[in-house]
Amino acid sequence: MTPISRSGSGRRSLATLVCGALAAGGLAAAGVATLEPGAASASSHREAPLISGDPQYDNTDVYAFVSPDKPDSTTIIANWIPFEDPSGGPNFYQFAEDAQYDIHIDNNGDGQGELLYRFTFKTHIKNKKTFLYNTGAVDSLDDPDLNVTQTYDIELFRLKNQKVEYKTKVADDIPVAPSNVGKASMPNYEKLRDQAVYKLPGDATAFAGQADDPFFLDLRVFDLLYGGNLSEVGNDTLKGYNVNSIALQVPTDMITESAHQPVVGIWSTTQRRNAQGYYSQVSRLGNPLVNEVVNPLKDKDKFNASAPWDDAQFLKNVTNPELPKLIEAIYKIPAPKEPRNDLVDVFLKGVKGLNQPPHVRPAEELRLNTSIKPTDSPKRLGVLDGDNAGFPNGRRLTDDVIDASLQVVEGELVGSKNDLGDAVDKNDKDFEKSFPYVALPTEGSRGPLAKGTTSGNDVRNQLGDALSPAGTSGSDNMTLIAGSAGAGAAGIVLIGAALMWWRRMRRRAY
Amino acid sequence: MSGSTTDSAPEDEQSGPPETVEPSAQADAEKVAAVRRVSAAGRRWRAAQLAGCAALLAVALTGGSIAFGALRDGGTATVARSSSAALSPGLMASGDLDAGIEAVQAHLRGQPKDFGSWATLGLAYVEQARTKGDPSRYPQARQALERSLKLAADNEQGLAGLAALAAARHDFKGALGYADKTLKQNPYNERALSSRIDALVELGRYDEASQAADLADERRPGIPVFTRYAYVHELRGDVRTARTVLERALSTATTPGDIAYVATALGQLAWNQGDYDTALTDYARALAADDAYLPALEGRARAQAASGDRAEAIKGMEAVVARYPLPGPLVGLGELYEARGADGDEARAQDQYALVDAWTALARANGVNADLDTALAAADHGDKAAALKAARAEWARRHTVHTADALAWALHVNGRDEEALPYARRATATGYRNASFLYHRGMIELAAGERTQGRSHLGSALKLNPGFSPLGARAAREALKEASE
Repeated sequence: MTPISRSGSGRRSLATLVCGALAAGGLAAAGVATLEPGAASASSHREAPLISGDPQYDNTDVYAFVSPDKPDSTTIIANWIPFEDPSGGPNFYQFAEDAQYDIHIDNNGDGQGELLYRFTFKTHIKNKKTFLYNTGAVDSLDDPDLNVTQTYDIELFRLKNQKVEYKTKVADDIPVAPSNVGKASMPNYEKLRDQAVYKLPGDATAFAGQADDPFFLDLRVFDLLYGGNLSEVGNDTLKGYNVNSIALQVPTDMITESAHQPVVGIWSTTQRRNAQGYYSQVSRLGNPLVNEVVNPLKDKDKFNASAPWDDAQFLKNVTNPELPKLIEAIYKIPAPKEPRNDLVDVFLKGVKGLNQPPHVRPAEELRLNTSIKPTDSPKRLGVLDGDNAGFPNGRRLTDDVIDASLQVVEGELVGSKNDLGDAVDKNDKDFEKSFPYVALPTEGSRGPLAKGTTSGNDVRNQLGDALSPAGTSGSDNMTLIAGSAGAGAAGIVLIGAALMWWRRMRRRAY
Repeated sequence: MSGSTTDSAPEDEQSGPPETVEPSAQADAEKVAAVRRVSAAGRRWRAAQLAGCAALLAVALTGGSIAFGALRDGGTATVARSSSAALSPGLMASGDLDAGIEAVQAHLRGQPKDFGSWATLGLAYVEQARTKGDPSRYPQARQALERSLKLAADNEQGLAGLAALAAARHDFKGALGYADKTLKQNPYNERALSSRIDALVELGRYDEASQAADLADERRPGIPVFTRYAYVHELRGDVRTARTVLERALSTATTPGDIAYVATALGQLAWNQGDYDTALTDYARALAADDAYLPALEGRARAQAASGDRAEAIKGMEAVVARYPLPGPLVGLGELYEARGADGDEARAQDQYALVDAWTALARANGVNADLDTALAAADHGDKAAALKAARAEWARRHTVHTADALAWALHVNGRDEEALPYARRATATGYRNASFLYHRGMIELAAGERTQGRSHLGSALKLNPGFSPLGARAAREALKEASE
């Protein structure tokens, strides 16, 4: 059998052979090799994947708050692996074994971590002959039917000027809550999750495992700022998606400098083991939206690889941010006057009298004043709405950081009162009342994800006053705003764009 | 344009992506007619008129391939509302590339100014060309990337995409230039860091490539960098590091594309060392992730042949050639037929070699530089003078171990062994453990009267990878025997 047998019996002429072969199998390939000089098909050098994925190292959000049900403790939650899709059969997501998942705590405002909690993971496969995640219904974390499991260790480092002064292993081989692959496999997922909440020595508690992505938004429009015109509305990006969470609850006095200096700065990093055998930092996150909204595109990777004490290099991005200018260009909302020292306070130093430590070095950290008591009635806009227990004093799961950040970036603190928002005020799933607080993951095998609107709530009109004049000005923006008003609200447009920009840049493989 | 779907493509040529052109029935008919015409022509013509046939075929296909691109991209793409989440390359990695491309296309119809998505689309086309062996995507990729850069000058995604495209088309100097330009914008750009290593390797600048690999590894450890890092080490003979790093890469790979690629690289490494069992296991792993991955199919066939399973090897290589008639697999299949030597096998083998010649003629007739493999294939099974010409041309462009080996061998088959010697030595000078290079060097040394060296290198070739080529290994054994008598 030659590859070109269709030319019939008998002796084939060479020309038929050639034309036949090219017309059959390699038509497109050979044909286009002729299209352009130099377009010869590559085969003599290695062709590596251009589009390569490593979401396991991608830190999506960090939260830090005084535990509402245990006010002498602080809870820190960090999430990885965005867009975990539970639909369409058994999907499972693991922490990487060659990564160090770190939570840093700066308790004296010098931009350097004094405490470092390091989480490292191991994968265990009971039956190597099957690649199935589970071989039957899973009833407990040590169920023999749960074929693929992970455990983790926690180490605690005390540092001074980046030198390790003390190191201790806090926990060994704690089980990770598995991915929720569906009702048939895991009839009582909540039980599995409860088993993964783990008491540590010293009255601390830890959890690692899958959870509903606590970030909430209704993304009505995307890419507006970069696309420059409006045509797409509709899909909810994060509803129904899960993340892998690491949560840690520690007595507050373990992490603060002293009772007199209760402000801590928190951020998280991922380090990955490289080919040379040591670890490189590939992801960094503290304050929501800073790398995403404040830093321009070309600095994002550099930011991910850098440390807070070097953040002076990004100062200009904060004092002269891109986003308000883009918004001004599109919506005619005047950008607040630069330099934006108000943003330096919120994003780099903490707000004076609230969560700014003494002698603070400007650095991008999620700053939390642990002495502020948790409130029974948290306001989603946090400090902007007079609720000092919330963002940007730390970040609670229920804080609407999108609305708050956008209002701040658009000058809320420097006299440009605005009411910008995304019309989504809370997560689609309720958070738990106790540790680890994050909501249970959406389960798998439940058919396709619901798309688009789900209730009247997400089309509520959040049109900010500042937008109206531009919307009625009759220029090109007229269409822009009219279009968005038809979809719900111009405010939605704005925030959707910013947020999508953020999420996309985070996910890009560049 | 017949807009049969709800979302019509942008009308003005500024905003209309080239791939939104609806396939017209006419173009399709033209294409079919063109192919028929060529086939009919082919039936009448003799081998001597191949070049003419090739030219005609090329003309016909020029129209056809454009129609193809449009055909694949039109229609269905516009129906689905793109989820914005599907737009980033990162997300594409986790899913179906074709579906991802459709989503980006749909998105760009509504947001034609989104430079980032244009870059993503361009890159996705290059990736599609790579995984499907379909270079018809390259011109489309270039258009998309140029659109991106027109919307936002010097944006890093667009520049990095151009670097990847240039490398895919063997314009390694261009690739290096674009990679450097990208890194000026963003020193941490993973794709540019990777393209830079590729370009330096392919230009034969191995020391710089090694430094670039170390730097990339420090800045952006991950599968794209790991695989390059391993190759740089393999080229210097450090097989152990290459294997360790590739195994580490495989353990962190999660998407089918990554798994198939890394496992195939492991298979190639093992095969190069003559470890066929390991190679077969690696290829099985690759094909479990993506059963249509051509390099794994080709590698598996070679490993099967080397370990004595010729029947399966021939079956496998036939399947590869049927989809992707490139010089490498064509020669591989031809040699397998020759080595089998059954009734009609000689003719079958000659058919394959003829296809290589035709491929070369087709390329030349259209101003395409014949590839490195073409030079090697022609040296063994085609026009020796043409092989030398091609090898010289390739050497003039870049001094790598591969081009040195090709030039040495082409000189040898043309009887110029003294001239060949320094090139053969250069091909093996980095320590790269490649049995074919050692075989070539040994044969050249024997022909040049350096019997001890020649015997030693032939012995090394057969010891390292006795199944490196069905015919080459046979020739090596015979020459060794003869030289030892």
